[in-house]
Parts: sequence; structure tokens; C-alpha cells
Amino acid sequence: MSQQVVAQENILELRDVTVSFGMNRGVSKVLDDVSIDIHRGEILGVVGESGSGKSMLASALLDAVVDPGTVDGEVSYRTDSGETVDILDLEDEELRQLRWEEIAMVFQGAMSFFNPTMKIRGHFLETLKAHDQDVDEGMEHARELLTDLHLEPDRVFDTFPHELSGGMKQRALIALSLILEPNVLVMDEPTAALDLLMQRSILTLLDDLQEKYDLTIVFITHDLPLVKDLCDRIAVMYAFDVMEVFPAGDLSNSTHPYTRSLLNAVPNLTTSLDELRSIEGSAPDPVDIPSGCSYHPRCPLSTPECEQEDPPLEEIAPDQEVACWHHEKVDEELPLALETSDGGSAEVYEGNQSDEPVVVMDDIEVHFETDDGGLLSLFDDPEIVRAVDGVDLEIYENDVVAIVGESGCGKTTFGKTAVGLQEPTGGSVRYRGQDIWETKRGEGTGDRSYDEIRRALQIIHQDPGSSLNPNRKVSSILQVPMKSWQSDLDVEDRKARLLAMLEAAGMSPPEDYADRYPHQLSGGEKQRVALIRALLMNPDLILADEAVSALDVSMRVDMMDLMLTLQDLFDTSYLFISHNLTNARYLAGRAGGRIAVMYLGEIIEIGPAEEIVQNPQHPYTQALHWSTTDLDSNSEGEADESPIRAIDVPDPIDPPSGCRFHPRCPEAREVCATEKPSLDSGTDHCTACFREYSEDHPYWDSEPLGEETIGAHVGGESS
Amino acid sequence: MSDASIENEDIPLEVVSDVDQTWQDTVRSLVNAYVLVPGRIMITDYRALLGFGIVFGYLFVGTVGVWLMEPTTMWDGDRLVQSFETMAHPLGTDPQGRDILTLLVYGTRPILLMMLSGGLFIITIGTAIGTVAGFSRGRLDQILSMITDVALTIPGLPLVIVLAVTLNPESPVLIGILLAINGWGGLARNLRSQVLSIREEDYVEAAKAMNVSTGNVLLKDVLPNMMPYILYNFMSSMRGVLFASVGLYYLGVLPYSQENWGVLLEQAYSGGALTTWSMFHWIFWPIVAVVILSIGLILLSQSTDKLFNPRVRARHE
Repeated sequence: MSQQVVAQENILELRDVTVSFGMNRGVSKVLDDVSIDIHRGEILGVVGESGSGKSMLASALLDAVVDPGTVDGEVSYRTDSGETVDILDLEDEELRQLRWEEIAMVFQGAMSFFNPTMKIRGHFLETLKAHDQDVDEGMEHARELLTDLHLEPDRVFDTFPHELSGGMKQRALIALSLILEPNVLVMDEPTAALDLLMQRSILTLLDDLQEKYDLTIVFITHDLPLVKDLCDRIAVMYAFDVMEVFPAGDLSNSTHPYTRSLLNAVPNLTTSLDELRSIEGSAPDPVDIPSGCSYHPRCPLSTPECEQEDPPLEEIAPDQEVACWHHEKVDEELPLALETSDGGSAEVYEGNQSDEPVVVMDDIEVHFETDDGGLLSLFDDPEIVRAVDGVDLEIYENDVVAIVGESGCGKTTFGKTAVGLQEPTGGSVRYRGQDIWETKRGEGTGDRSYDEIRRALQIIHQDPGSSLNPNRKVSSILQVPMKSWQSDLDVEDRKARLLAMLEAAGMSPPEDYADRYPHQLSGGEKQRVALIRALLMNPDLILADEAVSALDVSMRVDMMDLMLTLQDLFDTSYLFISHNLTNARYLAGRAGGRIAVMYLGEIIEIGPAEEIVQNPQHPYTQALHWSTTDLDSNSEGEADESPIRAIDVPDPIDPPSGCRFHPRCPEAREVCATEKPSLDSGTDHCTACFREYSEDHPYWDSEPLGEETIGAHVGGESS
Repeated sequence: MSDASIENEDIPLEVVSDVDQTWQDTVRSLVNAYVLVPGRIMITDYRALLGFGIVFGYLFVGTVGVWLMEPTTMWDGDRLVQSFETMAHPLGTDPQGRDILTLLVYGTRPILLMMLSGGLFIITIGTAIGTVAGFSRGRLDQILSMITDVALTIPGLPLVIVLAVTLNPESPVLIGILLAINGWGGLARNLRSQVLSIREEDYVEAAKAMNVSTGNVLLKDVLPNMMPYILYNFMSSMRGVLFASVGLYYLGVLPYSQENWGVLLEQAYSGGALTTWSMFHWIFWPIVAVVILSIGLILLSQSTDKLFNPRVRARHE
């Protein structure tokens, strides 16, 4: 690649770009001699795990590396007129003009990007004025952009940022970044904080925008499957350098061992559950990058050559470069799991659930009153958020129930109700036949004490950063559960036991880990400690609230495997909450458990894990399935049409009448808006949809709803 | 992580230890946690060292210093000896011939007692009311918040003057509490709002799920997060009590039975030390004593954050 000096088609060229920070421990290289070309009009996906330097690459593109970081190398930008400027040499004023007008950036946190005291209109006006643009013309353009992104310009302009949902905010931010008609759009994890369905919808819109406005997009993400359909080329980063660049569309084009291992570690909807392998070891420290190829300590193909010499990026096919000495051997040694597995998973795991349920939830309702306080609200009716509305569920011993749904659908509230941390406003939660809340109030009839019930129901939280007290060491954190219910143990016994547990969870040497503060642990290790803490209570049911979502892709399978191993040892059931169908499939599938799909406070489909994944019945489950990009689908370039009619979730304060999904449902008919389908029971696999009812249901005679269909085709990729 | 690596026989939940911890081990780990680690952190920070040195110096003077020095009486020396003139009276004497250094040393003890009792009063009441209000929410929170608001809105100086006149307290401990009587409101308010956010942390919910008592959750999970702020408030309210007491003695509002810095200032002022150059050292040295102690407390409070920061602690173990 280095020979093509005058490549016309390149809009940006990076040459030997290095970003370094001086630290107490030495110089930290967070970008290490990166050279890459970005073609005009392409979408380049930059993929890497957290801490691989991908965000630093985005900052370097705009010369926006924060102090005291220093950037060396060359970032050349070719303007429309064919001139070349080196971005790193620009003066402040020139940089200011280049940013946003030529190269715009969309950040991950749309929440904190907007000024909360300024209406959305103000943000657009401010940007236009700051760059001396014609305001009227610019606002006209803004309207067009917002409409393209399925937002109503007049409504959105007059709202404050907090009044928009996360997905709307992110779309408004994309419109704002395009207002000055830049040539290049750099997006740093623009959808990571959003639900899968919203992610997919935004990607579909991006694809259209890119064509309409002739953009070059650099899309930075940790999620390789997500961008494979959107991007033209994918660059994979590991340890602060680009490992390979390959044409997207067909993942078997990848030739670097790291990419292969990464793909084999990602839970998905087709690969058989046995084929998933996590990557051994952990990513290197930026102060101490291994000599030679930075991946060699973890690479199964590594040879002494790899330890001594760093392989350069070499072109092996058009649009394809790889930095590996052994890339020819990759197909043979590290085949992609989804290619070797014989078309979907035939095997079904047998669970060993008991017949007697541990926890039974009966017609659970949790309604929150939104109380603004203040004198004036006395005269208003309080608004009621129906977080959970009439849900039944039984959880058995050794069971895994995965609850899947978009954020705000009430799944966390429901989970907390199941483990007795949230009191339901209606219905009952029974632990082995005994009502939890009655027992707590001392009105119960059973012979179990509340303490015993409390011990049996435990929780693991989503955010590893907040689940452990930062002021206590691991050993003292883990002694809490034993102090709570095994007061006969002395300090030494407690220590011995927690060391044994750390060892069992694969954290060795345990003495070393026990003596650490939480900030000295990685995200995955913190989650393990949280899991051990829950298990030390010897519980019957653990609520795992998005317990793996915050972890890196390669760590997730590891953590779920650990959960399953420990389930065998301790006979624990899991209530696993996830917004992600793939994680739910992996955990529930391996244990022969069930998946329940929640929508606006109701379970709309429940059944055995593989059933739900391979044969979803409810249109909403089908939409979730669509939003979960499959590694396997070979459709090139464009993302498929969205199977939902409206992108945004309705307000749970005022849920739609009839079937709650009908405003977004592609199959909705008039009867859906007035009547409400109930979860048919009797079989393993229940669905709350009229389409599952018998032929003579009025649904089939009723008129289809809605003309404003975005895309009516459902289940487009069940290939 | 392969399933085979764990045998069913050695289920970690059944492990018991075969060694007993001796009391020496317990003492050693306590000393390490509360003396050695803070010591190591302080040594790396000149502000902490200086602040600690100053405060310790005053404590030494206020306790041991009193034993080492004879009390001064009238006509110990000549009238108004200037500072640094004789070794017998290094800081000079007042118009009655009393040694100013001795007066300052004897004045340290009641001042320190006042500061300590006032500071402790403020952080105990403020922390208790603030954390309980924030953690409990509901009716208890409303009542405690209302009491806090009342404490915040009562004008402080008139209240103290009225109380001082009616109660006529003489013990320095009581005077300290009197001066701090409504100083805890701000601390309680701030702590309450901090607790409101800490109680939503996941680890607090996990502790509830583990049936840890509310008191233990407050002590182990909530308070440590706020210790730097509480300690900082301890230092600054001690400074507040120092200034208030000196100021009120100076105004002649507080009754006095013992000599202290505030009394000295009042006597010097009414003796005309501000207008006569030859008496200037009479009012100067008490002011220096107040200022240096105040600086020492500021330095110490700036370094308290480090003592509780787990990232800093981890580096010094």
C-alpha cells in the first residue's frame, strides 16, 4: 500500500500515526504507528475491543487528542478541489473550520453532548452561526435531515434534550453533525448505548444518508457483526494498531487469527452453542506492548518469528491488507465456527429442572406514580407508569429464564420483583409457596422466616463499576454474605472459603485477588466477584441483570460459562435479563431454559430458548431477531428493511390500547387496536398474538392497519 | 474455564480453615490499616506533613507545654517588655508584666478543647441527621430535613449571644458546643444529598439483598464514601469555632474564667494595643497563634482526601 502515494480515491490517509501519553510508569502508546487509507465515499468500520485504541484513532483524525497526549505522524486530508492538507500541521483557526465543515464527529454519549438548558433548535442555530452559515438555508437543510432520520422537525426543534428518548437524541445528534454538509463523518460508538432494534434502525437510516449526501463514514464500534452489512471495509484493531483491513460482507474474508478468534467468541443466533470459544489471556498494557506481533502471546498460530518481528500490513488482495506472518494458514487452522457448524444447532440441551417451582409470580403489577412534588401537583392526577402489568412466571430449580426486551420495557423492575427487592403493587410473589411480602410484614402463614427467603434470592447487577463498594477490598466484600448468614464461621474460615471461591471462579492466585480494591480489577473480574458474592449466600435464584452486557465481547462467553459451571455446583437458578437475544440464547440454551420476551410491561412470548430463537412467532420477537445481526447472512452492502412501522417505543405512561405492539406491528389489523391478545397457555411455547389464535378469530377478517409502513417485510433473513 | 477443573468433592462452600488467627495478627493488620498506610501516604505529601506537624505542635503545647511552664502572674517581668529583648520573656510582657508566651501556652488548652468539642458536635449531629435522612426517605426524612432547615435559618450570632448570656457557660467544652449549636445544618444538608445518590448504587442494593442491617450498610457502604468530606468539615468547623470563640471573647460576649487567646486579644484591644506601637506585640502574638493553627488545619484538611482514596491507599500497601 505504501507505494500508492497519489491515490486519488483516498480522502484521508494516515501514515505512522502514534499517540503517546507520558505516565508515571513510562510512556503509554495508545496508538502505535497506524497507517491506513480511507477511500472517498466508503463506509469504513473500525472494530476493536475496549482499550484497543479505536477512539484514539477518531481523535487523531481530527487532531483532537486531549492533553498531555502527543500525536506524531501524518494525517492528510484531500479536499474536494484536490488539495492535500496535513491535519496535524493546521493552526487552531484552520482546524476549527475543518472540523464540522469538512469532517464531523458523532460521539457515543448523545446524552451529554447536548446542553440540557437549550432547545434542540438552539443547538442547530448555534452551530450554523459559529460557522458563519446562512441560517435560513441551514435550518431548511436541518429539517430535511431530521425528516430523513424519521423525526418530526417541528416537534423536535421545540423540545429540550431531556424530553427526547435516547434513540431520538442520537438521531438528532447525527442530523446536527451533518448540518454543515461535511465530507467525512467520524462516528465513535454512536449506537452502543441504544437497544438493538434502535441500533439496527439507525444503521439502516445511515446507509440511506450516506448514499443521499455522498458521505465518507468512519464507524467505530466494538461490535463486529453489527457493522458487517453496513460497511464497505472493516479495519480490525488490537493493541493500538490495525491488524487487518478486509472487505465487509463476507466475514470469511478475514485472515487475521485475532479476527477469527473474536468471531468465534461472539454469541450469535446460528452457530452451535458448543463452537463458541473465548480468547485466552488479556489485551496488553499500553505501557508494555509485547515485542514483535502484539498478538503473539494469545495467538494459537504464533511461532518464534512472531515474537521477534512485528509483521507489517501487507496487501494480499484488492482492498485487503493483513499484518500477520501466518495469514495463509488461518483458513486451515482457525476456521470460522459458523462455517463448520452444520447449519444451525441441531442439538438441544436438556435441563435438569425440578418439578416444584422455586419462585412463582402471579399476575404481578408494578405501577409507579410519578410525583413531581410541589404544591401545584396536589390538584393533578399523578401519572402512573405501568412498569410491569400483569405478568405470570414460574421459576424452577436449576432453571434459566432469560428475559429479553428493549430498555424501558420493565424487565429490570420485573426481575427485582422476582427476587423480592421491589414490592409489587398487585399480584403475589411466592417463594416455595410462601408469599414473600406477607412474610416480611409478619402476616405469613408459612414456616420459613423472612431471613431465609432473603438469603435464597440474590442479585448481580449490570454495571461492574457500581456493583462493588470502591472502598473495600475484595476479601472484605466477600465476607459480607458469610457474616450475614453463617455467623458460626470465624475470620479464618471465611477467608479460606472466599479464597476457594475465587479459585473456582478462575481468579488465581486467589490471595492476590482477595487483597485488591475493586478499581484494581477489570470489568470481567468485578462481575466474577459479584457472582461469587451472590453465590456465597447459597441462593436458590440469582437475578443476573444484564450481567454480561458491559463486558467485552470476548469476555461474555467466559462469564456465562462460569455461571453455568457454578450452576452445576450450587444448584442455582438464574433469572437472566438481557436486551440481547444472542446472550439470552447462549445462557438459556446451554441450560435447557426458557426465553421470555417482554414488551411494555408484558410478556408477549415465552418458550424454550432454541424455539424462540429459531421459530419466533410474535411479530415483535421477529423484529428482535431481525435486529440481531447474524454473522451468517451473506446479503451484501445494505441492511435489510426494517420489520417495524415506527422506530420509537410508545410512552409507558399512556400505553396503546388493545395489543400494545400494534402501533409498530407490521401485521396489525383493526382488531389489534381495540382487543388485547392474552398469552395462550397449555403449551411450552406461548405467544400473545391473534395470529396464533384459531382461524375463526375476528383478526383474520379485520382490515390491516396503517399506511405509513416503513417496511412491511418480516423475518427477511431467516436464511 | 472448563467444567472438569472443579471436582464435586471440593465444593468451595464447604471449605473451613485449619489455622487460627492469633490476636497478634489481628493487631498487626489493624495497625497496618490505620497507622502504617495513612503514615506512608502522609509522608509523600508535604502539605499533610506540615499540617500534621502544626496541629501536633499545638496539641503538644496545650497538653505537655502546660506542665513544663510555671503560670505567669502580675509583675513577673517589667511592664511592656518588647519581643525578643530578654530570654526570660521572649515574646515580651503585657502592661501588667505578665509573660505573653506563657499566657499563649496556657490559652491553648481551652481553645483546643472548644474547637474539638464544637467540631465533634457538628460532625456527629450533621452526619447522623444527614445520612439517616437521606437513607430513610419518607416521613423520617421530612422531619429530619425540617429540623435541618430550621437550624440553617436561625441567625447564628444572635442565638449564640442570647444563649451565652442566659446559660453563662464556663467550661470550654460547653462553650465549644454552644458555638457550634447551629453549625451542623449545612453539613447535614450536603450529606443528605450525597446519600441520596449513594443509596442508589448497586452495591447498596446488593447489601440489602444479603440482609445486611441498615446500620451496617450506613457504616460500611455509605459513610466511607463521604469520609473525606466529613473530615474536611471537621477541620473547617474547628476553624469556625476557633474564629467564633476568639471573636466573641474579643467582643466580650462570652464569660471568661480562664485566660485564652480571645481574652488576650480583648484585653490588648481595650488596653489600646492597636494604636500604640509599644503595645503592638501584645495583640500581635495571639493573632499569629490563631492564624498558624488555622493554616495547619487547612493543610491537614486538604490532604484528608488522599487518606480515604482507595486508589492512593492501594499504592501504599
